Amino acid sequence: MPILSVHNLSKRFPGVQALKDVSLDIQEGACHALMGENGAGKSTLGKILAGLYQLDEGEILFQGKPVHFHGPLDAVSAGISMVHQELLFAENLTVAENLCLGDLPRKGPWLDRAEMVRRSKEWLASIGAQIDPLQVLGELPISKQQLVQIAGGIGRGAKVLIFDEPTSSLSQAEALKLLQLIKELKKKGVTCIYVSHRLEEIFEICDTVTVLRDGQLVDTVSIQGLSRDDLVRMMIGRELAASLEVHVTATMGDELLRVENLASAGKFHPVSFSLRAGEILGLAGLVGAGRTEIAEAIFGLDPVANGVVYFRGKRISLKGPIHAMKTGLGLVPEDRKHHGLVLSMTAKENVSLPILDRVATAGWIEPQKERSIAQKFFDKMRVKAPTIDASTAGLSGGNQQKLVIAKWLASETEVLLVDEPTRGVDVGAKAEIHNLIRGLAAEGKGVLLISSELPELLSLATRLIVMREGNMVGELPANPTEETVMRLMAGVSNAMAG
Amino acid sequence: MQQFGLVVIIVALGVIMSLFAGTHLDRVSGQTVNNFLNPSTLIQIATDTSFFAIMAVGMTMVIISAGIDLSIGSVYAMSAVLMSLALQKMTNAAPVEQVLVGMALSCGIGLLAGLFNGVMVSRLGVHPFIITLGTMWVFRGIAFVTTKAMSILVPESLTHFAKANLGMRRDLFPVPMVVMLVVTVIGALFLQYTTWGRRIFAAGGNIEAAKYSGLNINRILSSVYVIAGLSAGIAAFVGTGFYGASSSGDAQGYELYVIASAVVGGASLNGGKGSAIGAMLGALLIVMIRQAIRTLNLDQNYEWIIIGFAIVISVVLDRWNATRTQRRLVQARQ
Repeated sequence: MPILSVHNLSKRFPGVQALKDVSLDIQEGACHALMGENGAGKSTLGKILAGLYQLDEGEILFQGKPVHFHGPLDAVSAGISMVHQELLFAENLTVAENLCLGDLPRKGPWLDRAEMVRRSKEWLASIGAQIDPLQVLGELPISKQQLVQIAGGIGRGAKVLIFDEPTSSLSQAEALKLLQLIKELKKKGVTCIYVSHRLEEIFEICDTVTVLRDGQLVDTVSIQGLSRDDLVRMMIGRELAASLEVHVTATMGDELLRVENLASAGKFHPVSFSLRAGEILGLAGLVGAGRTEIAEAIFGLDPVANGVVYFRGKRISLKGPIHAMKTGLGLVPEDRKHHGLVLSMTAKENVSLPILDRVATAGWIEPQKERSIAQKFFDKMRVKAPTIDASTAGLSGGNQQKLVIAKWLASETEVLLVDEPTRGVDVGAKAEIHNLIRGLAAEGKGVLLISSELPELLSLATRLIVMREGNMVGELPANPTEETVMRLMAGVSNAMAG
Repeated sequence: MQQFGLVVIIVALGVIMSLFAGTHLDRVSGQTVNNFLNPSTLIQIATDTSFFAIMAVGMTMVIISAGIDLSIGSVYAMSAVLMSLALQKMTNAAPVEQVLVGMALSCGIGLLAGLFNGVMVSRLGVHPFIITLGTMWVFRGIAFVTTKAMSILVPESLTHFAKANLGMRRDLFPVPMVVMLVVTVIGALFLQYTTWGRRIFAAGGNIEAAKYSGLNINRILSSVYVIAGLSAGIAAFVGTGFYGASSSGDAQGYELYVIASAVVGGASLNGGKGSAIGAMLGALLIVMIRQAIRTLNLDQNYEWIIIGFAIVISVVLDRWNATRTQRRLVQARQ
């Protein structure tokens, strides 16, 4: 009998259908993998099972009975705990306090510290973790914090443990230890749900795998007898997107940007590449591969980055966006709400923000000039808002994204670093943004494109760099197969297939 | 117009006071005069407002940048007493010279105090509340130590300047009001039409996005405290001249009136929102409520309670209005 059954589960976030009609069974005592590309919905599914998100439609059966979790505490008391990708802890408290946070032992009105420490020691010992319960949690390395989370789950009697990308911030040795621990937990009868896109780990510890793609179920299959190639094919298996055929062959111009041995400790290892006018250089890789970090370092947002970046043969300072902008670089950031727009300002004011000096004389803004420049790029991007004086807070994600791009078009940058330009954007706006990026290259600008959507990268990029875990693992010409790129991204084969 | 609601409330309060204030006989002209609606009461209200309002215009810029300046009252006192002490050594100078030196000193000291706040806030990464809480006591302490807690008289020339009639009746002193209006207009133009003003809104609205747009955050954040300090220096110059003396206890507690004025005038403590005209109107409203309690013969013991509620209610109404607008925008989208 399955310990967990999911029937026809759907979940919508504003602007995206995260999960659609997903059904699966998880067998008791198994280690069950949830796999898929970035944005396939695997983390969302894990979070719904752990009570962090509420489902829109469908049903979850736990040990045969329907359950409704209104929050993570409901799930924990039922016996489902989650080990998070981002650790959710009170970092200023001790290990013991964190472990007992939901249910602090008391003696009368007072906190029973002795009991708290005793309980924590017992829980930590049960998974063989050697951690002092009185240590402040924030002082522990991530790998130990993770063990504390697992101990907490097991100690509270978890029958199901959900691991969301648990090895993404661990070293190789730490990851091996964790996998060993999961095997032991499995022997003790704990059911593990393992969310990851690392193939090796899945093949090492899991019994069954459920593959999701674009929020929909592809299949649930047994790991035994499954080849890595089969699994990769299941993950990408969509028909080649139609837009792939509109591939523009670039008319290459001069070299605009040359990056030599750019590195940032803890984020990515030295990378070198160049970008020519008219080129769209794609940066492929899984989440955490270091792509955004590279773009931010080039744009001067990473104070510890070192290496040399040349723009048209001249070395540029990495000391801040001001320097990058002056030389002709622009960055369309991944997180448009936090980094892209000032939501309390109007569309016009956002577009003119980087170019205020150009629309002003001696520090005084010329309203007509500002308006006409903003209007020009507002129209070019076909932003759907009543006027350029509209508040940006009320715009849809797609229109906000178009505004961020408009902002950098207005500043007439020669090289545009574009990070996830179509995330959370509806289909229509997506196509428009694609055409715009192609148009920029055709105009002779250089574009560095970061995207987690492989079809998007493959159809737009004239050349691809593949990143894995902070390393540049390959450079591919235009039109590689999706499989080649995926293999490099996930590290299935080190050979430069092609 | 953003401040329309505030104007309506102020006008309504004025009408109510005119209707219920009663009248008295003017001893000189023998005519019946409304207790509220007469030149000397109105100018008196404007004068009381002006010292708050001048500083509120500076404060509103700090608040737009998502900061706060608790030291503004202390900067007023420090500027006032240091200027007064310096002018004591210039008793034989020409009146014009005294006025000009006093003006330069008071404004300069305010500006430097603001620069000190600004550099600390932008370089140390400590919340401005803490920095300016500290400098609030430091500046007040400097004023206290230098004056040895005594009141310092200023040369009459400053009083002649601050109490000039500008061609009005002999018992009317419009200079503080004029300075307030000039400061407000300059502040409004600065915020609305200069690149620097726009950058303050951007940094306060979303500091990360401002950074990603290549703005010099440190310089922007420092500048608002410089402006606030300067506004305190201006207010101190006019105020000291007007009252003829300064002491280390001047403007004690004003920071809260000034912050309240900016907030009632539409500034959001979350940053990114606020206006100079609003700040002035906010100061006017608070002073008028105080005046109303006297004119309408209400129990003066309730003054603080009434002002406290008025501030909270005006901000709640403003927030409520903003949520409604936001909801309309979202509905329009769907």
